[in-house]
Amino acid sequence: MKLLKSGLRALFLRLEQVCEKFFGPGLNPLVHLGSLGWFLFWIVTVTGIYIYVFFDTGVTQAYASLEYLSREQWYLGGIMRSLHRYASDAMVVVVMLHLLREFAMDRMRGNRWFPWVTGVPLLWFLYACGITGYWLVWDQLAQYVAIATTEWLDSIGIFAEPIARNFLDSSHLAGRFFTLMAYIHIAVPLIMLLFMWVHIQRHAHARVNPPRALGFAVLGALVALSFVVPAMSQAPADLDRAPFEVGFDWFYLTVYPLLDVVNGRVLWAALVGGSVFLTLLPWLPPLRKAPAAVVDLDNCNGCGRCFADCPFGAITMSGRTDGTAFDQEARVDADMCMSCGICVGACPTATPFRRAGALVAGIELPALPIAGLRDQVLAATGALRGSDRVVVFRCAHAGALDAPADPGVAVVPMPCVAMLPPSFIDLVISRKHADGVLIAGCAEEDCFERLGNRWVDERIANERDPNLRNRVDRDRVAVSWASPVQSHRTRESLAQFRQHLRALAASPHVGRTGTAWRAQFSQLAAPLRVVGMTAVLGAVAFLIGWFATRPAYAYLDRDQALLKLSFSHAAQPLQPCRHYSPQELAELPFNERSATTCKRGRWPVYLEFELDGRTIHRATHQAAGLWDDGPSTVYASFRVPAGQHRLALRLRDSGRATGFDYASSATVSLTPGQNFVIDFRGTEGGFQFGRAPAHGRSTREVPP
Amino acid sequence: MTLLQWRDEYRIGIAEVDHEHQELIGLINEVHAALGADRSSGRIEEFLGEIYARIAAHFALEEKDMRAHRYPEFSQHKADHERLLDDIRDIMDEHGESGVLDDQAFSYRLAAWFGDHFKTHDARLHRFLRVQR
Repeated sequence: MKLLKSGLRALFLRLEQVCEKFFGPGLNPLVHLGSLGWFLFWIVTVTGIYIYVFFDTGVTQAYASLEYLSREQWYLGGIMRSLHRYASDAMVVVVMLHLLREFAMDRMRGNRWFPWVTGVPLLWFLYACGITGYWLVWDQLAQYVAIATTEWLDSIGIFAEPIARNFLDSSHLAGRFFTLMAYIHIAVPLIMLLFMWVHIQRHAHARVNPPRALGFAVLGALVALSFVVPAMSQAPADLDRAPFEVGFDWFYLTVYPLLDVVNGRVLWAALVGGSVFLTLLPWLPPLRKAPAAVVDLDNCNGCGRCFADCPFGAITMSGRTDGTAFDQEARVDADMCMSCGICVGACPTATPFRRAGALVAGIELPALPIAGLRDQVLAATGALRGSDRVVVFRCAHAGALDAPADPGVAVVPMPCVAMLPPSFIDLVISRKHADGVLIAGCAEEDCFERLGNRWVDERIANERDPNLRNRVDRDRVAVSWASPVQSHRTRESLAQFRQHLRALAASPHVGRTGTAWRAQFSQLAAPLRVVGMTAVLGAVAFLIGWFATRPAYAYLDRDQALLKLSFSHAAQPLQPCRHYSPQELAELPFNERSATTCKRGRWPVYLEFELDGRTIHRATHQAAGLWDDGPSTVYASFRVPAGQHRLALRLRDSGRATGFDYASSATVSLTPGQNFVIDFRGTEGGFQFGRAPAHGRSTREVPP
Repeated sequence: MTLLQWRDEYRIGIAEVDHEHQELIGLINEVHAALGADRSSGRIEEFLGEIYARIAAHFALEEKDMRAHRYPEFSQHKADHERLLDDIRDIMDEHGESGVLDDQAFSYRLAAWFGDHFKTHDARLHRFLRVQR
């Protein structure tokens, strides 16, 4: 697990570094996966509403209405439809990357289990949305999806009558069914949205919108893909024939081909087991975390700054409990606290200046109290020499500094650099404990503790309280945001910063104010960056366009036909019913009187199926129901070579030990791709070959 | 002798803010008295640190309440807070470097700021809150 995690992490960090070259840290899609998921959800919603306006529910109307959108109205409806499909596919890509990345970066253990665990049902909803969506088109892919899905659902064995029987042949299908599917296809995304909202509940300032430029770029890529390769229906569904090959959406139907090789129940068990495993992952192994932050009421007046800055919603402001005149106090929920210390950095009483009493802040991290931090800073800076002395406050999750021992550099590690109260910087600079302060944290936009870099930037830029006092020269305060594979950047920042400090010592000036000093890094020329961004997004769009229909999935060989044996038949009762005697009737309560009494329970149906003299199915089918008094159902399908075949079927539905109650045989000639159904009706003489005559050839339509 | 005297007219109408104002006045008087009695520099540094932390926290609370009431003169009021905190930090540094502190001047400066601030910014806030209710 550890190996997998670190391997994945290394992979992601490299990928991100490449992406950052083109997109810059602000627009890097790999650090905005979660918000991109939201963005794609909205694209799918808007395009879905548009399609719904034109969509007709009906066996032929569904297909025809989508054909209208794609062909007559290709310039708008067709694009909407393509966007609907491709944004959904992109969502699978984004969600899977999001899941892998949060796992790789270890952002799901400890008290961060909540978004992880609530994300697992989201996967199921996502797939349910996609599968029901493909179903609605009612082309050959939809036909495959309908039959494969219902057969797969039937394998669980909880439905009394196989739902796959709805798709046995064209006489079985009703238009109402599309109304039902359309509503499922609307309801599931709504439930999904609810879960998406729950998913981000424990994140303060959750990012649900990607940066605008990135959003436009992604939308642009999807629109371009929609124009180049519009999403089209395949040939219309025909339940009397089985498709040989279907264009396959590998994003949503990934596991379906497995149904050809494993039992449906095994696949269900694997998926449910996989989900349970995913759900338990945050505790494999449990995170050993530093103790949670604690509030010191003597130093807390309820100003709420820690509450405003906590990235994990672990702090609440609640009624005062110590009898003082203050209205509120901060309270830490230890089960949600990640011990990052950002609250300490926000507390106005967290100062390094000695006080009349003990140096205690209103909120403290037991592992690194303010007084201890102060001592560390003074001890580390005490030994510094030179005119370019720098104290580096380094985040535990950023890359190692790996700088050789240097009399001009002192490093103070902390869980998150936003734990550093700005007054510490004030102390170091104005009392000249060092010539400059370098804050070295996680990669920009990708703080391990979510909001650390942002708060540090805003505090220094005087946009957020507690701010770094204006009296502190920003020329002596530097920040360096770098991921663990970018530690060379931190080293480079440090070197450039010290050079800058030496220049300041030679000719002191107060130049820029406002924001922190930052090192300059060479970056690609703007046209190259645009080319790179286009290439990355184009490549992803190409992959989405490709795997949305290719490679095709071979359902049936060109020279094969499909035999389906399916019926539902109530066998004989175990004991025949008998009439009540007048005496018995008189003894019964008035409301329980009836002519006959029957013992519950029916015989199982025993069935043999011979194809060209070879038995291909022989089984006993139990009666359904808790009392074994329902019908026995049979559903089996066989791929057979096209051509002439001799079919023989024998059935026993009574208690006899030998012989059969029904037997039929027929010689049929099957064309390639034919879907030949064998039914059984006890009241109509037994086995029925081919389509059921009762319904005729026309499909049952419900007028809109 | 007490340096600052709490007066009812300083009341702004938010219980916790009024309470902390009185606490701060008490603290300033205490420091003033202590500075008069004990002039060892260690104590002075500690008193300054205490005053800085307490006032910073008090301003944080008052600013939160002003934001909650959408006080239109928030930015001017906050600027006055920042001015005092900058002043105190300057004085702390001056004392830290030279080791001397004109404690009388310091106390009077602090008292003057508070008296002034109470009469202007806090009084305006008080009027605003009364009208709002």
